[in-house]
Amino acid sequence: MSEGVTDSGSIPEKVATMATEKGLRGRLAKDRMATRVVSASGFMVIFFILAIFFVIAAEVFPLFQSPEVSLNKVIDIKAKGTVLAFATEEYKTIAYTVTSQGIFFQSLKGGNTWPPVALPDLDGARITSASTPQNHMVVLGLSDGRSLGVQIKFDISFNEKNERSVHPGADILDFVQLSESGRPIELIHHHVGDAGYMVTAVTGPNEVAVVQVKRKKNMMGVVRTKTQSHQFTLPNKGAITALAMDHELSAVYAGTESGQVIRLALPTDEIDSSAEIIGATPGKAVKITVLKFLKGGMTLILGDAEGRVISSQIMKGDDQRYHLSLVHGFESHAGAVRAIGPSHRDKGFVTTGDDGMVRYHFGTSGQTEYELDTGWKENIADLVMAPKGDGILALDGKGRLGHWTVSNPHPGITLRSLFGKVRYEGYENSEYSWQSTGGTDEFEPKFSLTPLIFGTLKGTLYAMLFAAPLALFAAFYSSQFMHDSLVHLVKPTVEFMAALPSVVLGFFAALWLAPRVEELLPSLLMMPLVIGLLVVVVQYIAEHTDLRFYFKEKPATEFYFLLILVLIGTGLALGLGIWFESVLLQGDFRVWLLDAAGLGYDQRNSLVVGMAMGFAVIPIIFTIAEDSLSSVPKLLSAGSLALGATRWQTAVRVVLPTASPGIFSALMIGFGRAVGETMIVLMATGNTPIMDLSAFSGFRALSANIAVELPEAPEGGTLFRILFLAALLLFLFTFVVNSIAEWVRLKLREKYRVL
Amino acid sequence: MEPAKPMKGEIRSFLSQKEGNEGKLSDTDHTGNSSEQGTSNRVMVNIDHVNFYYGEKQVLIDVCMEIPEGMITAYIGPSGCGKSTLLRCLNRMNDLVDGARLEGKVEIAGEDIYDTRLEVSDLRKRVGLVFQKSNPFPKSIYENIAYGPRIHGVNRKDELDAIVEKSLKSAALWDEVKDRLPESALGMSGGQQQRLCIARAIAVEPEVLLMDEPCSALDPVATAKIEDLMVGLKEHYTIVLVTHNMQQAARVSDHTGFLLLGKLVEFEPTKALFTNPRQQETEDYITGRFG
Ligand SMILES: Nc1ncnc2c1ncn2[C@@H]1O[C@H](COP(=O)(O)OP(=O)(O)OP(=O)(O)O)[C@@H](O)[C@H]1O
Ligand SMILES: [Mg+2]
Repeated sequence: MSEGVTDSGSIPEKVATMATEKGLRGRLAKDRMATRVVSASGFMVIFFILAIFFVIAAEVFPLFQSPEVSLNKVIDIKAKGTVLAFATEEYKTIAYTVTSQGIFFQSLKGGNTWPPVALPDLDGARITSASTPQNHMVVLGLSDGRSLGVQIKFDISFNEKNERSVHPGADILDFVQLSESGRPIELIHHHVGDAGYMVTAVTGPNEVAVVQVKRKKNMMGVVRTKTQSHQFTLPNKGAITALAMDHELSAVYAGTESGQVIRLALPTDEIDSSAEIIGATPGKAVKITVLKFLKGGMTLILGDAEGRVISSQIMKGDDQRYHLSLVHGFESHAGAVRAIGPSHRDKGFVTTGDDGMVRYHFGTSGQTEYELDTGWKENIADLVMAPKGDGILALDGKGRLGHWTVSNPHPGITLRSLFGKVRYEGYENSEYSWQSTGGTDEFEPKFSLTPLIFGTLKGTLYAMLFAAPLALFAAFYSSQFMHDSLVHLVKPTVEFMAALPSVVLGFFAALWLAPRVEELLPSLLMMPLVIGLLVVVVQYIAEHTDLRFYFKEKPATEFYFLLILVLIGTGLALGLGIWFESVLLQGDFRVWLLDAAGLGYDQRNSLVVGMAMGFAVIPIIFTIAEDSLSSVPKLLSAGSLALGATRWQTAVRVVLPTASPGIFSALMIGFGRAVGETMIVLMATGNTPIMDLSAFSGFRALSANIAVELPEAPEGGTLFRILFLAALLLFLFTFVVNSIAEWVRLKLREKYRVL
Repeated sequence: MEPAKPMKGEIRSFLSQKEGNEGKLSDTDHTGNSSEQGTSNRVMVNIDHVNFYYGEKQVLIDVCMEIPEGMITAYIGPSGCGKSTLLRCLNRMNDLVDGARLEGKVEIAGEDIYDTRLEVSDLRKRVGLVFQKSNPFPKSIYENIAYGPRIHGVNRKDELDAIVEKSLKSAALWDEVKDRLPESALGMSGGQQQRLCIARAIAVEPEVLLMDEPCSALDPVATAKIEDLMVGLKEHYTIVLVTHNMQQAARVSDHTGFLLLGKLVEFEPTKALFTNPRQQETEDYITGRFG
């Protein structure tokens, strides 16, 4: 490219010198250019890796952000009478308050006012109690022993400007006689089921009435109701102070003055009713003030007069008896618990007590995530969580309504719930569990990454157990002993294996390999043993006969001879394995496995994954190890051979240590590949996130988990971010492994540096 | 290929003349730098009509030579004439080269070393080789020396210690390295490394020590050390030396063979060859008139 070259033959010397100078300058410029381009590319690579890291970390970060709570406003509601219950509509535009005087609406945005619900003639009775609204249905307890169901409605309409406006209204449902004696209803509770609702109320010192109201619309649109009422007497444990009902409408739970929880099983066609004490608040007898089920009806929260907040589960013991199993104690209030407001979306709930504090707890994790002080002390009357979980509404006895806005998009996510053991609903013990979605939206998601990390490590372990010895021995053999003519054949073939898409390997493993392995496992396990033994025996024979001179003269033939041995060994192992299985393993190794070792056998198991992933990893390990073994200077091995060392001694004592940095890198890069491998683990395991080391069971790896669940994870949701966390873990994992590997490799290279 | 016949005859006659005179080889009358020796100078290595090929290419042409025991025999000749090849034929290092082939016979101590029943590793234990470029293993100084004895089954620490000390002393390296035996051999100077390789070779106590230009990469001081070393070693070992340095050949060797294009042109006691070469090519070469 230098300019002087074209006609340098004829130009005067001076010009020629200039030209060379010019050429030199050109070369230097090119050199600088190249340096810059190379270093710029290097920085770009580092930049992009860091950028990816930060993007992933930024997606993960909100998971661990602390919740933000701010007071939106305090409104004076225009309700008369004592507050009995209240609730808000989905969009937090309207709240309704149930008082001793009726049901009143209140705009939370200001402006609109609506008339109170027009209640029917109560025949002179007063409203003495109200149940917690559920699906905007509320049941009023009356002073004459009756109850009245009211369904609040919110009609939504849009005006010409497409603005949304909500108009509250109400349907009056049924009067039901709860107390035969006409005793005022002071404590009432209801739950809406599939075909109606059930009301329970305290009708005497130890008396409880339960009424089931079945509502059916006939074809004319006329509602027919059928009521069925029962009176029950509970064990005498002091006055009943709290009521709850399970969501199947099969039992009523009552909390007493003495801190006992009584389970009242409702009669069905098969069983009679029964009432038994299933548990109590811990320690001394403290009055239970509130009983509330969390969403899903599995976890029962107890609030007592000392301000304690305890979550519990109703477990059925081996003796078919129920007992209350206390799970978490949450941060207590300084006064008696006044109200508990479960979240409508998850296992979170808010509590308040006579101290005027409002605390948000999460049932799954047992954590109290945030709190706020209303300053209302014992004036506080009731509180609810906004239906979308983005607000808290509290009401005091003086008609003040506080509205707090909450931003807590990922409740219940802590390092402990992500990595530790958690006691989930319906479980006797704390466990590591991953189960992100369930059949219903009442499902409690289980987000423990531990089984996935375990799965990744397990898959990697089995892949490396399979691949590392094969690849390393192959590399060792082909670099040190195999005849050159064969090496030229074998190396490209193995390298070609690396080009196999892992989806093909996974597909092959799942559909072809897994059934074969299941069929021939004993034979398969015997193969390395039988082949190894055969080779050793034949080698011994060869060593002591004239055969060895034959191989010495024709070194390439030993490979074919070995190949034949391997084939014979495979055949032998097949036959032996089948024989072994039929004679010693009761004809089916799976039965034997279960009997003798207590291990189950999944068709798509770790062994199959190990083999399939081994195939993906072998070419990488082989190629890098082979290269580093064959790049050990010939002068070095010649030095050893010249001392009278055999080829084996030379290979093991000189070549191997010298190539060890390369072999180490080969293993580490193979390891990294196995950790990140997705398609094979996805297809060749059952993807069950269990934690056991058995080779015959499956697992779920972090990478496969991301692939499986990403379609189900709405952007920005908790699952979405946890999947990013899984990605971050994979990233960090490979990063740490590679860094350690590089460090060790450099140390080794320093040690086995060759001039 | 034609001049091969008379040359061979000549060497034969030289040796038979010796045999005729005293019944065994003795060079007392020819080499001044070799001390008066009463030791028996029987033939250690007998190279008998050797032709050597790398694939199709013939590199050695009908070489015949008898190397006497307990002396230093040097090969000189222009680059590419086959000195190294001839040397490597003596411990079958050429076996490692694909397609290498030897015709003729090589006997060491009366044994045909190309017999298929012979274990090459046994042969190489008896015939050590020091390479042109030093090639210490990436191990400690101690382990470098102990490597040979270890592979031949010596594992006792005290025995190994003794061998290491003795070998390093024979290689005139002991004083320099005795305090740093566990350190990597790669931290030594070039001359020390070469002497380490010599020590490593003699640690397995070979009968014959082959040295392929052991001083080519060394400065005069290191060269002098190694030359002294060779002279000292010949008491116990038969040494065959390849060198480009004619002064070196003259200084240390007892016999010198001159190779040219794969043929052994002349093989004489060193003094005779340098002072009174019989062949024109030899004279041209040693007087520097030869490319
Ligand atoms: N491994 C080999 N394969 C093919 N040809 C070879 C090989 N080694 C050496 N040769 C050839 O054999 C001939 C002799 O080589 P050799 O190394 O014996 O020469 P030399 O006399 O030792 O030369 P130098 O003084 O340069 O070391 C040369 O022409 C060389 O090209
Ligand atoms: Mg040479």
